[in-house]
Amino acid sequence: MRARRLFAVVLSFAVAVAVFSATRGDERAAAGPPSVGGLASDDLRPSADTDARIAALQRDVRAGRTAAAPALADAYLQKVRETGDASFYTRADTLLREALARNRFDADALVEAATLAAARHDFRGALALAQRARAAQPGTLAPLPILVDSLVELGRYGAAERALQRLVDLKPNLTAYARISYIRELYGDLPGAIDAIERAVSAGGPVPENVAYVQSLLGGLELARGRLGAARHAYDAALAAMPSYAPAAAGRARLAAAEGDLPDAIARWRRVVDRLPLPEYVIGLGETELAAGRRAAGLRDLELVRAQQKLLAGAGVNTDVELAIFEADHGSRARGVRLAHAAWSNAPSIRSADALGWALTRAGRPEAGLRWAHRALRLGTLDPSMRYHAGIAALAAGRTDEGRSQLRLAIAHGLAAQPLHLARAREALR
Amino acid sequence: MTPKISVRRALAILVAGLIACLVGPAVASAHPLGNFSINHLAEVSVSPDRVDVHYVLDQAEIPTFQERDLSDGEVLARKRAEVDKRLVLTVDGRKVALVAAGKPVLTHPAGAGGLHTTRLELPLRAMVSSPGRVELRDDTFPGRVGWHAVVPRPAAGTAVRSDVPAADPTNRLRRYPQDALSSPADVRVANLAVAPGDGTLDAPGSDRAISGGGDGEGREDVLSRAFSDAAAGKGVLLVLLLTAFAWGALHALSPGHGKAMVAAYLVGTRGTARHAVALGATVTVTHTAGVFLLGVVALGLSEYILPEDLYPWLNLISGLMVLGVGAYVLRKNVLRRRAHHHHHHHDHDHDHDHGHHHHHGPDELSWRGILAMGTAAGIIPCPSALVVLLGAVAQGEIALGMLMIVAFSVGLAATLTILGLAVVSAGRAITRLNIPAGFVTAIPALSALLIVGVGLVLTLQAVPRVA
Repeated sequence: MRARRLFAVVLSFAVAVAVFSATRGDERAAAGPPSVGGLASDDLRPSADTDARIAALQRDVRAGRTAAAPALADAYLQKVRETGDASFYTRADTLLREALARNRFDADALVEAATLAAARHDFRGALALAQRARAAQPGTLAPLPILVDSLVELGRYGAAERALQRLVDLKPNLTAYARISYIRELYGDLPGAIDAIERAVSAGGPVPENVAYVQSLLGGLELARGRLGAARHAYDAALAAMPSYAPAAAGRARLAAAEGDLPDAIARWRRVVDRLPLPEYVIGLGETELAAGRRAAGLRDLELVRAQQKLLAGAGVNTDVELAIFEADHGSRARGVRLAHAAWSNAPSIRSADALGWALTRAGRPEAGLRWAHRALRLGTLDPSMRYHAGIAALAAGRTDEGRSQLRLAIAHGLAAQPLHLARAREALR
Repeated sequence: MTPKISVRRALAILVAGLIACLVGPAVASAHPLGNFSINHLAEVSVSPDRVDVHYVLDQAEIPTFQERDLSDGEVLARKRAEVDKRLVLTVDGRKVALVAAGKPVLTHPAGAGGLHTTRLELPLRAMVSSPGRVELRDDTFPGRVGWHAVVPRPAAGTAVRSDVPAADPTNRLRRYPQDALSSPADVRVANLAVAPGDGTLDAPGSDRAISGGGDGEGREDVLSRAFSDAAAGKGVLLVLLLTAFAWGALHALSPGHGKAMVAAYLVGTRGTARHAVALGATVTVTHTAGVFLLGVVALGLSEYILPEDLYPWLNLISGLMVLGVGAYVLRKNVLRRRAHHHHHHHDHDHDHDHGHHHHHGPDELSWRGILAMGTAAGIIPCPSALVVLLGAVAQGEIALGMLMIVAFSVGLAATLTILGLAVVSAGRAITRLNIPAGFVTAIPALSALLIVGVGLVLTLQAVPRVA
């Protein structure tokens, strides 16, 4: 029982990572608490080294000061953002269960539990917990960030914006600005998104990882705008704040691909994967190898994603956006459709709509695929993956003009960072 | 010199086993530290003439999958190269090369999702002369998440003071603490101050110096030492056996040891005290045999079959046996009820009544059932008992290990027997009370249904694991 629960935790970690990075042409993992890199639910933490903070809080809780348990859980979640070490999710989970068993209305514990639920891809659960936290302590701002994240992931963009507006009015900090940037990006407002993320960078955060994370997001936005020099600058700043920070190192690999230096991109991807073999990074490596003509190596590396999928399937987890797109691109198309359907019913966001559309297109149903692609693009997102998916679907459905213009939009907004899809888009345009 | 052993150390064996039980049987589950963790541990012990390092690597499913195209030889070469490059021993300010001091052991234990993990044990050694300051730095697999530890061990002829703890809660990376208030170890350097002495080690976290028996192999841990010490001193042996007994008795109280089945069986068959004792004896015998069988498999046949692969089958067999016994008891009850239709005046003499209507006596039938029931309850060996046995075998103390398993099993059976006796006497007390006869006769039938239900659940749980 215990082992199974642990297993579920590890798997949901992988799911969360995959889902948060469904738009993989783009640095932006997602609003919310991605598993590696990401935004904390609040920023009231003392600015101490995370390990030292964990050690101090562990002593506190051991000494019987159970009120420190939510803060310790928060430090554990931060540790996962910094290292990808999923075993800390289990520890945080235990602490929060105990805290909520002591007091069902412990607002701090509810906020952290919501953050953990979102990291585990349970957005409905996260939303409910965040609402409970607000009810437990009316007027507090702490649950707002995670509330915004859950609403975004559940496709309730209007409600998310309203909650976000309250947050930024009262507390304009890194946490708030980063989320504003993400919403603007979803609406296709790249300059606005960059403006907000730059504010987030200058607002700063309590731990180096916070800044490294928003710098990596800035790099992704600059990459999408085609300003490769600015992107490099942002990634390097992130790596200076936190050496070998995986989201920034992956950004450098994408940048190398966008610059056309595929061998360099492959070497960089490999270094990332050797440290942290998350599906998102493994797909980046494998697809770049395929684009460089290293077919055997590419297919071999993509096999690793399948191994991760086995681990997911073993736990009965099948709601994964990232793996749905992977299946549609490289595996069983029927399974891609199944996974994408499950993802949509779990969290009906524009990203799961995109995954479902692409899975249907690849499964030979481009008309249905295009309808879902339109749903995915209803906010006006310029995400190169989504535009590419819509373009291929439109061409296959016989709507040549729309298809060509979608593909051109994808190429104009950073599809070059995904050389395999760039090549396919160019071929389709000829 | 005969090393003295504290009760505390004797308990260490039991604690180690207890942890094994809490962690549960080794069924395939994802790596506790994440399926892409790379965990490593370097045990270091300093003797007057050499430094022994025992390097252990536990690699989770994903990094193992990344090496799937490599032969074991190639994997070993890769790990060796990593260790050569990044495991650095410095003695009195000078770097000293570590060379192989025995055969490395590379295995691929089953992991989650049908994938495997990698486990490597690499004995290393460096020859030195009367070292003073020793530093071992383990920078292998930088940047990978997991459990990283450097653990000092005592060795004959030296007195060592360490700046890092000597405790290894993982038993060489075989299990990981699940405590929500502690992080995975991340110790990559140990600094040891070494002086001539008689095998003592002073390390933070232990209230006093641990003294080592010192066979100098660098493989000494509390568990192993307790075995050799116990074999030497008889008083300790008694303590060990008693503790094993008590632990078995307590262990039987944890869920899943067939308490409900045993009680239900005795009620369902209107068993006597003799039956309860016989049931306990059967559990002892089958549990002991089961552990020995698993031990043989683990030691002798591990190339062909993994002990953890046997667990699902044992579970299935146990489930089917319970189901069979339940069906048998149920049938007996039904027959008895039919008999009652013809002999209303015999309401208070069921067994006797029953005996008249069948060719075999009640005892013969019950004994067969008791044998099956006891086997079902005892056939699933507790993994911690297996740990104790394998630990003893590793130390060459096979007889002691077997003795402890027997003591453990007797303890297990004692609890079940006492429970059975309680049920039997409670049953008598109920019969003496003037409870409506219909209710009394219904209890055995309900018990039989309960056994069938338990058997059904056990079987259904076991089937998917086998398939």
